[in-house]
Amino acid sequence: MTKILFTDKLHNCVEKWQSAGLTVIGPVQKANSSSYATVKNAGELDFNMVLPDRSIKELFFPQTEPILHYSIKKQEINTRESLPPNEPRIIFGARACDASGLAIDDPLFGWDYKDEYWFQRRNESVIVTIACTKADDFCMCTSLTLAPDSTKGSDVLLRPLENNKGWQVEELTERGREAFAKIADFLQESSEPAAPLAVVEEKFDLDSCVAWLKNPENFDSKFWKEISMRCIGCASCTFLCPTCHCFDIQDEGDTYSGIRRKNWDSCSFSLFTMHTSGHNPRSTQSARWRQRIMHKFNYFPGKFSVNSCSGCGRCSRQCPVDMGITETLQEISKLSQ
Amino acid sequence: MTEHIQNAPQNIYKPAIMKIVAKHDEAPGVRTLKLEFQNPAEHELFKATYRTGMFGLYGIYGEGESTFCVASPETRKEYIECTFRQSGRVTSALANADIGDLITFRGPYGNRFPIEEFHGKNLLFISGGIALPPTRSVIWSCLDQREKFGKVTIVYGARTVADLVYKHELEEWQERADVDLVLTVDPGGESPDWKHKVGFVPTVLEEAAPSPENCVAVICGPPIMIKFTLISLKKLGFDEANVYTTLENRMKCGVGKCGRCNVGSVYVCKEGPVFTATEVSRMPAADL
Amino acid sequence: MITQEQYRTRVKELLSSGTVKMVIGYKPGSTPDRRRPLFIRTAEEANRLVLDSACITNLSGYLVTEGLLSDEKKVAIFLRPEGIRSINILAAESQLNADQIIILGFDSTGSVVKTLDGTHAGDFSELLGSIKQNSPVKPSEVLFEQVEQMTPAERFAFWQEEFSRCIKCYACRQACPMCYCRRCIVDSNQPQWVNTSSHTLGNFEWNIVRAFHLAGRCVECGNCGRACPVNIPLRLINRRMAQEVIEAFDHFPGLNQTQEPVLASFKKDDSETFIL
Repeated sequence: MTKILFTDKLHNCVEKWQSAGLTVIGPVQKANSSSYATVKNAGELDFNMVLPDRSIKELFFPQTEPILHYSIKKQEINTRESLPPNEPRIIFGARACDASGLAIDDPLFGWDYKDEYWFQRRNESVIVTIACTKADDFCMCTSLTLAPDSTKGSDVLLRPLENNKGWQVEELTERGREAFAKIADFLQESSEPAAPLAVVEEKFDLDSCVAWLKNPENFDSKFWKEISMRCIGCASCTFLCPTCHCFDIQDEGDTYSGIRRKNWDSCSFSLFTMHTSGHNPRSTQSARWRQRIMHKFNYFPGKFSVNSCSGCGRCSRQCPVDMGITETLQEISKLSQ
Repeated sequence: MTEHIQNAPQNIYKPAIMKIVAKHDEAPGVRTLKLEFQNPAEHELFKATYRTGMFGLYGIYGEGESTFCVASPETRKEYIECTFRQSGRVTSALANADIGDLITFRGPYGNRFPIEEFHGKNLLFISGGIALPPTRSVIWSCLDQREKFGKVTIVYGARTVADLVYKHELEEWQERADVDLVLTVDPGGESPDWKHKVGFVPTVLEEAAPSPENCVAVICGPPIMIKFTLISLKKLGFDEANVYTTLENRMKCGVGKCGRCNVGSVYVCKEGPVFTATEVSRMPAADL
Repeated sequence: MITQEQYRTRVKELLSSGTVKMVIGYKPGSTPDRRRPLFIRTAEEANRLVLDSACITNLSGYLVTEGLLSDEKKVAIFLRPEGIRSINILAAESQLNADQIIILGFDSTGSVVKTLDGTHAGDFSELLGSIKQNSPVKPSEVLFEQVEQMTPAERFAFWQEEFSRCIKCYACRQACPMCYCRRCIVDSNQPQWVNTSSHTLGNFEWNIVRAFHLAGRCVECGNCGRACPVNIPLRLINRRMAQEVIEAFDHFPGLNQTQEPVLASFKKDDSETFIL
């Protein structure tokens, strides 16, 4: 017997959580694009998509976010911090790759200096992940030592039953238990079996790719130029990526008052590393693509012992020129054989 | 080597407010600002954490923040001096600020020159152009406790005589018996009354031929100067492990989050900006 | 697949004879319906080329890659009629020398691909002229019509909703053959003309500034809309601007290389006084 949440009880749960003061967020399809968005009722949630177009990252690290408000008088500067509003929330229907992505970035936002903007939201969020029963051509979690039912970064894991009848409930953390205690009345014990998980084929051999990337000789390989020749240098891959964390700090306002903001930025933009002198350490697109791959699979794991990729496949799925991590690592796999 | 700020303010993006108490034009487009903390607690934190080699983010609200080293030494923590070339949006705004104006400061961040390890050793400082400020911070940090170090040699060059920064301090070092100062300007950059060397820093360095014996070298300069100076130092017999430099990557956060300064496995803002030449040689040269 | 074979043969000739140093075309993508841009330099690689109705992307933007044409050698490129129009505009705006471009023209109806006769952009003027003649005054798209019918307030709300998804990844700009500026206006910070932040105002500023910069230049190849990772219907804006320009100036961009950029040229006898 396992704890089951039946689909027809979901609207009760959503109401219950809302009345307990939780904002309910989940996968929503809207205007030809999907994302994790706040819902008013369970009917807005869409569990049919493989995964939302936009990753869960934006709920913790929005594309633009005020960090400080300033005001200036003659001999006085006032700075007011602009922390995210206190908003306890439950993200119902995260994907395992997205939840893992958050866990991957935690050490980065926390080493020595803690980014309060990230951690306040992390601490206020309950992440309820639904294991995947379907995948598409771009899913590659299994190539990154993850799986459609990985628990990394999740507070609760739900395993779908056959025919969308409901979910088996596996509470993983205290925070998850607390949130599900609130809806205990709507849960049932049942022996209903879980639907089979999505089959995600392994697309490349990660270990051999990492070994190739770590070999300093390959830094100057002509491979980088070839693989990135068609890259147009937009930030679609980095902005949709659940783990890409680079940002810019920008002021908006005048000399009297305004806002300092943290905005997404991308290593694929040529201006990202450009010095004021005009010197640009990464002046070509191939150098920038190499940096992205090296950062994810060599530098970042060197620092935080985890690859900065959870295999969601968005980079490849949405690339305007059909590039992405999958193709690059597949090619590296070939090279390293 | 990184010194962590244990009692850092909670919000890592919130700057301290500084008052400009003095300014000085060093060279065309190059200015030094002397800054004082307005909040005693922030000043105490600075005093407790600042060591030579660390950097800060200097800002004007409405324009943004710009990264450069703390140019004043760790032996003088009552104020902060910074020297910058007016080139971008923020440095232009900083250059337009006047005595009495308030600006913002975040830091000190990054690692430092381990000058305790230099005790009893000879010191060789090599610097080019606008890169004297980080070197100057180390120089004064050592000269302020002169007895702890051996011979001090400074090789400094700029494109032209006008481009030399800290001219008044160059004179002071020139007059000191316990400092060897070698000044040079690039060929064509000399003025009629120029009494010092003419030639590029690496060449002049090789002529001066300081002994690598028990010597630590600190070099700061544009990438091209560093590249050739490292070759010269090697010729002179210096071990890369005894050669220190600072990297000046573009930064936004200063605290290892924004990803901008990442080069090879290093986040320059956290693990740098001070590196030995050995460490730099392990970084991908093409990305520097 | 006669056309694909014909073109592979042509590509082999062009490369083995040294007529061109590179051919820009298509190869299979990561799924059956995707095609990837392909750059080949040797005749042996010609068999990697595919040409079918799924070859949609307008590849002409790659021609202005820094340094590609600076050695004055020729490059061959697969282009649909919109792509050929892009070449004409790029040439008219002095971004490339059209004599350096060998055009491998094609078009498709349904799944049938046909070749277009001609080698240089100038050879296609008759075809392009007929496209102008036959282009509908009003586009047939339902959504376009719906937006047209909206009140200004409704239309504003519609675009506000659409732009709220914009993440400023600049995929639209990077995918656009006309967005060749080395430093885009949004990347200038002295002064900061456009907010870099991706909030409502910043997103409006960006998308509207881009639409204005494309007015009278856009060939409606659709690269921007396809590139947009959040599916903003950018084609509607560009189409509206194109319609405006044709109505006001009878200007159909990309007909030939001597066409003056409509919003960047003026006549002394212009009826509007502000121009001088």
